Amino acid sequence: MIRIRVPLVPAVSAALLAAVAVCAVARELVAPHALDQDIYLGVVGGGVEGHLFGTDQLGRDILQLSLAGARSALAGPLVVAAGSMLIGFFLGTVAGYRGGVADMLAGRYADLLLALPAVLLAIVVAGVVGRGYWITVAVLIVLFSPSDVRVVRSAVIEQAPRPYIESARLLGIRPFRIMFRHIAPNIFPIVVANLLLNVAFALVALSSLSYLGLGVPPGAPDWGRQLADGRELLGDNPLAAVVPGVLIIVTATAVNLLGDWLSELLDRRVVAR
Amino acid sequence: MSTTVLAFALRRTGATLLLLLALSLLVFGLLYLAPGDIARNLLGTRNVTPEALAQVRALYHLDEPFLQQYWRWLSRAAAGDFGTSIRTGGAIGPMMLDRTGVTAATAGLAFLLSVLAGVPAGIASAVRRGRWPDRLLAGLSVVGVSAPGFAVGLLALYVFALGLGWFPLYGTGTGFLDGLWHLVLPAAALALGLGAFVVKLTRAAVIRELDQDYVTFARGRGLSDGTVLRVVLRNAAIPIVTSLGLMVAYLFGGTVLIEVTFALPGLGSLMEESVLFKDIPVVQALTLVVAAVVSAAALLVDLSYLLIDPRVRARTARR
Amino acid sequence: MTTPLLAVRDLRVAAEPGTIVAGLDLTVAPGETVAIVGESGSGKSMTVKALAGLLPDGVRASGRLEIGGTRLDLGGPRSSWRGVRGSGMALLPQDPFTSLSPVHRIGQQIGWAVTARRRTGRVAALLAEVGLPADVAGKYPFQLSGGMRQRAAIAAALAADPGLLIADEPTTALDVTTQHEVLELIADLQRGRGMGLILITHDLRLAHSRADRIMVMYAGRLVEEGATADVLRAPAHPYTARLAACDPPLTRRLPVLATIPGSVPQPFSVGAACAFAARCEFAVEACRTAEPALTEVSAGHRTACVRPETAARPDEHEHHADEEAAPPPEATPLLTVEGLAKRYHGAAAPALAGVDLELLAGESVAVVGESGSGKTTLARCVAGLERPDTGRVVFHGSAAGPRRLQMVFQDPYSALNPGLSVGTSLAEALAAAGRPRSEVSELLELVGLPAAYARRRPKALSGGERQRVAIARALAPRAGLLVCDEPVSALDVSVQAQVLNLLADLRRELGLTLLFITHDLAVARQIADRIYVMRHGRVVEAGPVTSVLDSPAHEYTRRLLASIPAAH
Repeated sequence: MIRIRVPLVPAVSAALLAAVAVCAVARELVAPHALDQDIYLGVVGGGVEGHLFGTDQLGRDILQLSLAGARSALAGPLVVAAGSMLIGFFLGTVAGYRGGVADMLAGRYADLLLALPAVLLAIVVAGVVGRGYWITVAVLIVLFSPSDVRVVRSAVIEQAPRPYIESARLLGIRPFRIMFRHIAPNIFPIVVANLLLNVAFALVALSSLSYLGLGVPPGAPDWGRQLADGRELLGDNPLAAVVPGVLIIVTATAVNLLGDWLSELLDRRVVAR
Repeated sequence: MSTTVLAFALRRTGATLLLLLALSLLVFGLLYLAPGDIARNLLGTRNVTPEALAQVRALYHLDEPFLQQYWRWLSRAAAGDFGTSIRTGGAIGPMMLDRTGVTAATAGLAFLLSVLAGVPAGIASAVRRGRWPDRLLAGLSVVGVSAPGFAVGLLALYVFALGLGWFPLYGTGTGFLDGLWHLVLPAAALALGLGAFVVKLTRAAVIRELDQDYVTFARGRGLSDGTVLRVVLRNAAIPIVTSLGLMVAYLFGGTVLIEVTFALPGLGSLMEESVLFKDIPVVQALTLVVAAVVSAAALLVDLSYLLIDPRVRARTARR
Repeated sequence: MTTPLLAVRDLRVAAEPGTIVAGLDLTVAPGETVAIVGESGSGKSMTVKALAGLLPDGVRASGRLEIGGTRLDLGGPRSSWRGVRGSGMALLPQDPFTSLSPVHRIGQQIGWAVTARRRTGRVAALLAEVGLPADVAGKYPFQLSGGMRQRAAIAAALAADPGLLIADEPTTALDVTTQHEVLELIADLQRGRGMGLILITHDLRLAHSRADRIMVMYAGRLVEEGATADVLRAPAHPYTARLAACDPPLTRRLPVLATIPGSVPQPFSVGAACAFAARCEFAVEACRTAEPALTEVSAGHRTACVRPETAARPDEHEHHADEEAAPPPEATPLLTVEGLAKRYHGAAAPALAGVDLELLAGESVAVVGESGSGKTTLARCVAGLERPDTGRVVFHGSAAGPRRLQMVFQDPYSALNPGLSVGTSLAEALAAAGRPRSEVSELLELVGLPAAYARRRPKALSGGERQRVAIARALAPRAGLLVCDEPVSALDVSVQAQVLNLLADLRRELGLTLLFITHDLAVARQIADRIYVMRHGRVVEAGPVTSVLDSPAHEYTRRLLASIPAAH
């Protein structure tokens, strides 16, 4: 009997993320006045002159700015998660299945990068090498990949000695085909779960960098950046910091909840063979 | 047996030192990764004159081969001499030492808070698996893990410092008690994510142990719930201690943002200032120190297995 | 009759999909041994968990239990077992490798049930009682062998002096020689203490040799119970009779093993019918329309069958097979193994310490041994999945070349890629061997499966069916040599016989050469022409099956044979 029952929590999370995604894709439609400055108005609190959440130092509407920030909150993290998983998937699969030198190299690569906290390394590298959103994204891809390598590698190592893989070897099926046709689909749940986990981590990391002034350029709509600007406005318009702060927390939580639910679901599907 | 244990400790220490050596090479390489002329970068905002450039080149031995420069830098750093800051012109070593207290106090407090709250909460959650207190706590821990410390910190500042006035807004305060009072909010903001991580991890570890055969057997031969829980916790301690090493790394990542948010003059805010100013020698020194501390924590965790896991002890003795 | 030690009325267990155990009455007298026998899915394990109040979350029990004057409701809260477990009953689990806490010393674990004041002396006494030296108290479980661990677990179970011991497959995870010792120990302890014993087992032969009374379960229902002698001599349920017949005999080879067609249904899918009707050759309309009630056939011997008179032993193909006349192997050697040695990284002892072996074309050779004997490593080295440290594996004549051998593994559940349909897996194997993909249905037919199975996923297959597909895949390249590593040891007895018959048929039809790894001497007797007995990485005895098993030359082989529960 197949009964599809989506529980409340993942449903709400998915709806929330869908809303964020709509804002991200149709930013120009959803928030056409996000960057309109009104220097004469300056900072005002919530509800003043049609600004539901007030304005920032430059007189920009906090609501519009926050809606526009959805793009950098989603695009970068998705690219980071996908990119690092792509690296992790190939390196991890080859290292786990082939063993030997490939495994040793992948292991050392992971050791080296995992010896330091990723956010700290990102701060250092982004700060020294150069600022900018996509540079930061590239740095995070490299920094996130070792943990993906490890996760995929250990999943592959768990599969490799199973009879269905050893039978394939004895049948003379090529290693590349064994790795990517036989093993890969069976570690899929782990890959998906890790991917979503990384989206949430990357959102936090990217906002952290923007918060420190290392991510998006000044003036660009971004929740981390808004928080940094809002820090100075806690007295005049606290919503300038509270709104983007809540948005980061809620979005990251939604991604994590969805990831937990999905991995549990896929896990059950694999277990119930 | 004690000699084999010693040999194990020495081997692990050696491996850690090797890793640090490799890292230090990367850290030193940062200087070369930065775009633009190294000498100009090292001059910072001072006037770029041919004399000044020549002076910097001589000071940093920039005409020497890379490895020679690296070795000079590393051997001095090992002795505590990290060079001078571009931004202030002062010696980096004392500058870092000045800032260590605040960071150590904040991080230490956060560590204590998260472990003291997280471990019991995780155990309580695991024991009530599937019931509403567990589901609530599991949900909250997802929020905690997802929420970046600086966002939580700002919200906390707004609510508890600005709104309710229970805590000071910024700074470190004067005297011990006042100083501690100033650190409560930053430490709590830092501890939230960490504590949530500890809850998740403890819960998973305890649940994994509760599902083991030895628990069924212990219950099946009539041992009391208290005894069974004690046995389970002794077994779950192993993965939990492993996570302590990870937590140290997490703390250092989070502390930069927390110190910036709460305007605390610690190592984290020094890192932020130096990165924004491209004060590369300070960044290098800080990164190296953090790497050393994180690696030392990992080493300690590894060695603690000798105490808490008889299987590891036996394996090292056999070698 | 004396007052029973344990009396259970109407024990039922149910979970999300439905009933797991449907109404069971059970009594055990002091000093009595009751065996609950059943294959996987019979509900025997859930029955004991329900008795001990240790059902997993989501599984509910009902019924009443009375033990030593205490009554409790089997559906009651967990706290009602307080005071019952320990001094009333103790549960001894199956696997001694996981039943003890890995980070506590044996003495501690035994002592938990004893008050601190008496602890040291009591632990020493218990260790002595189970035949372990006193210094074991200071050791950790990982420092002990499987048999010693199970002894330690028994000591821990006895620490609170239970009146009833519930042993759940207590020897299944152990080697056959250790099994024998542990069963003897339990019998001794039972005699000395006047303790009741519930023995849960899948092994009818073991139940016959140890129990006073036997209860046979099938798909969550009790189908037969009675004194061991009665059940053994005159089984009153066709399932019991069939199950006994499926068990391969150790002393002679049968040309065809008796089997039970099909596989065990889920208890909750049976409905109002005899659960065995679908597989029963004597089933009539009445069997399919109502669940038969337990009826007495003689004093204390009851069965849930409407035609108990039919059950009498089915034809067992009683004539002896001509073992000597098994397909005369051509004299040409197919494979020679010379001085094979292998030590795994970090292992104290070598897995293989110089093994020589010869395989002639068309013959079937069994390699038998207990765990750690090196038999699996030998198979893996022959297959090329493991590289030996020294020694050679030489293939002769037509056997040389790629895909010259294929392998069938032990675990049917990971034998097939769970993501691919049966047809896709087989088609890939055919393609790899340069055969057309259209031959999938031929392969399936070869292993006795309908062609429609090609569309199924592995999870829709039973363990026996998966193993058949795995054999079909191994046949795809038309390899002359099939290496089988314990291919039937994870299967139920009735299914095991099906797979053994299939392998024998295939060997005859295709002229296959078999290298068959097994721990089970009775299985080796059925499948092999020659046999190698391995121990500690060496071959201790080799020769024709009849001479090795009927007149063993080596002391170890004799001990192996003596440890097998007495045949019926």
